[in-house]
Amino acid sequence: MNGDEPLEVVPVRHYRQWLAAAGVALGAAMLVHALLAKIPTGLWNCVTTHGQRRCSPVLQWRFHWDVVSQYFTTGPILRGLLMTIELTVLSMVAGILIGIVVAVMRLSRNRLLSSVAWSYTWFFRGTPVLVQLIFWFNIAALFPTLGFGIPFGTVFFKVNVLSVFTKFVSVLVALALNEGAYMSEIVRGGILAVDEGQVEAASSLGLTRLQTMRLVVLPQAMRVIIPPTGNEVISMLKTTSLASTVALGELLMSVEHVYNSTYQVIPLLIVASLWYIVISTVLSVGQFYVERHYAKGSLRTPPPTPVQRLRADLSGIGRKLRERPSFLRTATSR
Amino acid sequence: MSSPMIHAVGVRKSYGMIDVLRGVTMSVARGEVACLIGPSGSGKSTFLRCINHLEKHDAGVLNVDGSFVGYEQRGAKLYELNDKEICAERARIGMVFQRFNLFAHLTALENITLGPIRVRGLDEKVAIARARELLDRVGLRDRDGNYPSQLSGGQQQRVAIARALAMDPKLMLFDEPTSALDPELVGEVLDVMKDLAHSGMSMIVVTHEMGFAREVADQVIFMDEGIVVEAGAPEQMLSQPRSPRLVNFLSKVL
Repeated sequence: MNGDEPLEVVPVRHYRQWLAAAGVALGAAMLVHALLAKIPTGLWNCVTTHGQRRCSPVLQWRFHWDVVSQYFTTGPILRGLLMTIELTVLSMVAGILIGIVVAVMRLSRNRLLSSVAWSYTWFFRGTPVLVQLIFWFNIAALFPTLGFGIPFGTVFFKVNVLSVFTKFVSVLVALALNEGAYMSEIVRGGILAVDEGQVEAASSLGLTRLQTMRLVVLPQAMRVIIPPTGNEVISMLKTTSLASTVALGELLMSVEHVYNSTYQVIPLLIVASLWYIVISTVLSVGQFYVERHYAKGSLRTPPPTPVQRLRADLSGIGRKLRERPSFLRTATSR
Repeated sequence: MSSPMIHAVGVRKSYGMIDVLRGVTMSVARGEVACLIGPSGSGKSTFLRCINHLEKHDAGVLNVDGSFVGYEQRGAKLYELNDKEICAERARIGMVFQRFNLFAHLTALENITLGPIRVRGLDEKVAIARARELLDRVGLRDRDGNYPSQLSGGQQQRVAIARALAMDPKLMLFDEPTSALDPELVGEVLDVMKDLAHSGMSMIVVTHEMGFAREVADQVIFMDEGIVVEAGAPEQMLSQPRSPRLVNFLSKVL
């Protein structure tokens, strides 16, 4: 050894990591097997050929995938899905608007406004959403008619509550009011995260407080508001299933309707679950792009889109294959 | 004789138990550059913020360009102005902050055009053309599309000066404009400010840059513990200070 010869570099081998990976792979295989395995139904299928009778057991997927695919895109299920999406969108839009108003009230210098906002959040976060939902569904028992006028004074016009608070409206009201309470805290957090100096700079330019909120504070608060709001949207998507308790025909109700007559409970629950997963996946992708939009100005370079990342990863692998690691080169050149 | 730009007599301000301003009296003429110096906590920044009503003073007279800040005199009473009127007053007073406070979600150009478009109601094309002129003036012609996070501290502060100038202010307030900058970036900001001073802008500058004060200021005002201790021409103030407190302060910063 004169010290000039290239030395071979031997990277650390991660044996325990490999062992763990093997374990996980085994578990994954077991799961796939359980999902796709077929089991005997107890029936036999017999065929007679050349006077010989042969029987084999009739097999059936444990998870009844045939039933799942049979119902996946049927009319009643799709109608339920549509209502679930409608409920999610409407109650989130209303919830976000309520949340912004309540958050701004909460941050107001007026003590009455801020304490009303605080009480709102306190009440609607403090009671279960299912209880609120059943409450609004039964609101007509408490107020058969709604009168608009001066408290303890004249009533200008009246509304029949039963005709206004249909199943759909009462579910929507319950979900929106409940969501408003959570959203108000999210929006408030976002507003508080914007540096005080931004408000001062805006005021020194002569912007009114409303303009400052709309043009300077909220656009910057969005960056903080969006990730938890994405959570809320996905959570809302699934919370709408509570509407099945008042027999509103959303996704869960429509599969319940089917399995109540066919008794194929699990496959139909799978149908509903698959749809929930599909929609929440779409929502997550949407969230990524909204986040990217509002990140402008806060990052020197925006994060790559999944497509860009995939392309970078693939070209990275290609490069690795083309340029072999240096230790291999030295080892073979010897 | 026209009224001075700033006329302050016995301005007081306290936060709870702490008296920050204990009777500030000063006068700054139109077109004059006044440098406010003094140890930290002496009330310089608070006084500056009272001038555009970011802080309300509790007592005393504070006139800007002949009218009361944040108040209107009708007979023997001062009526507090409403939000809109205060905004209109502020629009004519430019302010530059220690930490720049550029709007992080807007480009340099959008930072400059926001005020003119939204407050002055200027046409977007006119505002953009004017903003480009101002960017050119502060030496950042090709930085119009950059977000603040993509600019150095010195560049951000120069954009902030351009943003304030876009409102055609009659008075510019600088709150320690170079204190948050790396030493090698201080010069570029001071150069822009010198330019502005030579153009005849009325300026009040809270600063620790004694060199700048000596070279550019018409008047140096030394504040300590909430009052003006000594005021005068820069040469006399910095070379022949009279009050022991100023002597002591200068021995620390020079």
